[in-house]
Amino acid sequence: MAAPSSGDTNHESGKHEFALDIPFPSSREAVIALQSLSPDREPRKGGISKQLSVSGSKLSVRWSADEARILRVSVASFLDHLSLVVETMVMFGPPVSQ
Amino acid sequence: MCSFMLVFQIIAKAAMTVVIGFEGSANKIGIGIIRDGEVLSNPRRTYITPPGQGFLPSETARHHRAVILTVLQEALEQAGLKPADVDCVAYTKGPGMGAPLVTVALVARTVAQLWGKPLLGVNHCIGHIEMGRLITHADNPTVLYVSGGNTQVIAYSERRYRIFGETIDIAVGNCLDRFARVIKISNDPSPGYNIEQMAKKGSQYVELPYTVKGMDVSFSGILSYIEEAAHKMLESGQCTAEDLCFSLQETLFSMLVEITERAMAHCGSQEVLIVGGVGCNLRLQEMMGVMCKERGAKLFATDERFCIDNGAMIAQAGWEMFRSGHVTELPDSWITQR
Repeated sequence: MAAPSSGDTNHESGKHEFALDIPFPSSREAVIALQSLSPDREPRKGGISKQLSVSGSKLSVRWSADEARILRVSVASFLDHLSLVVETMVMFGPPVSQ
Repeated sequence: MCSFMLVFQIIAKAAMTVVIGFEGSANKIGIGIIRDGEVLSNPRRTYITPPGQGFLPSETARHHRAVILTVLQEALEQAGLKPADVDCVAYTKGPGMGAPLVTVALVARTVAQLWGKPLLGVNHCIGHIEMGRLITHADNPTVLYVSGGNTQVIAYSERRYRIFGETIDIAVGNCLDRFARVIKISNDPSPGYNIEQMAKKGSQYVELPYTVKGMDVSFSGILSYIEEAAHKMLESGQCTAEDLCFSLQETLFSMLVEITERAMAHCGSQEVLIVGGVGCNLRLQEMMGVMCKERGAKLFATDERFCIDNGAMIAQAGWEMFRSGHVTELPDSWITQR
């Protein structure tokens, strides 16, 4: 699963930003991943925001953070969670027809 | 006649509710399957740390992460079920450690969606109580819930579980676990089990603070006292490690029996149910049994399979909730540490 990503500092807002696009076999799986990964809030209160969205069979995540360190922790933990969700899909999928 | 019976059985089977439960709020990861009060499978793994060390959230989550899918496969295989046979997916919503809870919730949410089943977030404490009621058939007991994270005396009154007494600082299991670390008792299979075995060889009672505060108890002062005294007493040969285990158990458990008895008198209850990991300690059960006998009350307790955190207890509480019409929508399925 190739995941195009990009990271940068937004010079206007001074925020550290990161973007990740994850392709899934179908939009169904992308939506399942979105709904599994969205409910839990970021552990720390401020300083970071994370937006998840699905378009077609692609899950997109956009981060914006005050500090690189906070961003790094959040991205790393997201990747851990994503890999668990994907592994679960491989072992216990494919999704039943709706 | 025969075919009629068969048809009847098929209908009865179709009406049964199968719930799979995911638990991982502390250092145990368990997945259990329950079909209308029958435990079909309940595999579990424990994250065991070296002597002198406790379990930390991120390492515990890593442990759960590494084994959860294998445990899930075991749960289905041992039950002889396919995902299509499951009616509902229950998981621990809280309270517990954040990172391990999230790990387990992620898998529960994903399989619920893959299999097209409703999801149910379960309160860990209620899981313990419902499992205890299922196994022991206690009807309306005063509950002593004792584990590494919780110490509460609970009774069901006016459609709610109500807390009559609790610890005002650390849990009784936490007190035992941390004492085990001080004198480097093994965490395998659990520090509490090893303390219990050593306590049997203790003969001399070392006096410790006794801190019941009305309906509540306090353990942190006892822990500080014994942490401070342990090495001195052991080095000078005043007592043995076994004596300390014995004295600590006697003191802590007397306090628990006292507040349980007070709650029973308050509720007019004639049943006690002990749940939670510390609940499988036979000395605690014995001491509680003496009190119950004196009052003409009945004691209910379970063994380590169901006392210690497990998946079936979450399935059982989930089953009760599901049958009364509850479900947890995905956006509401966030975990909670409290």
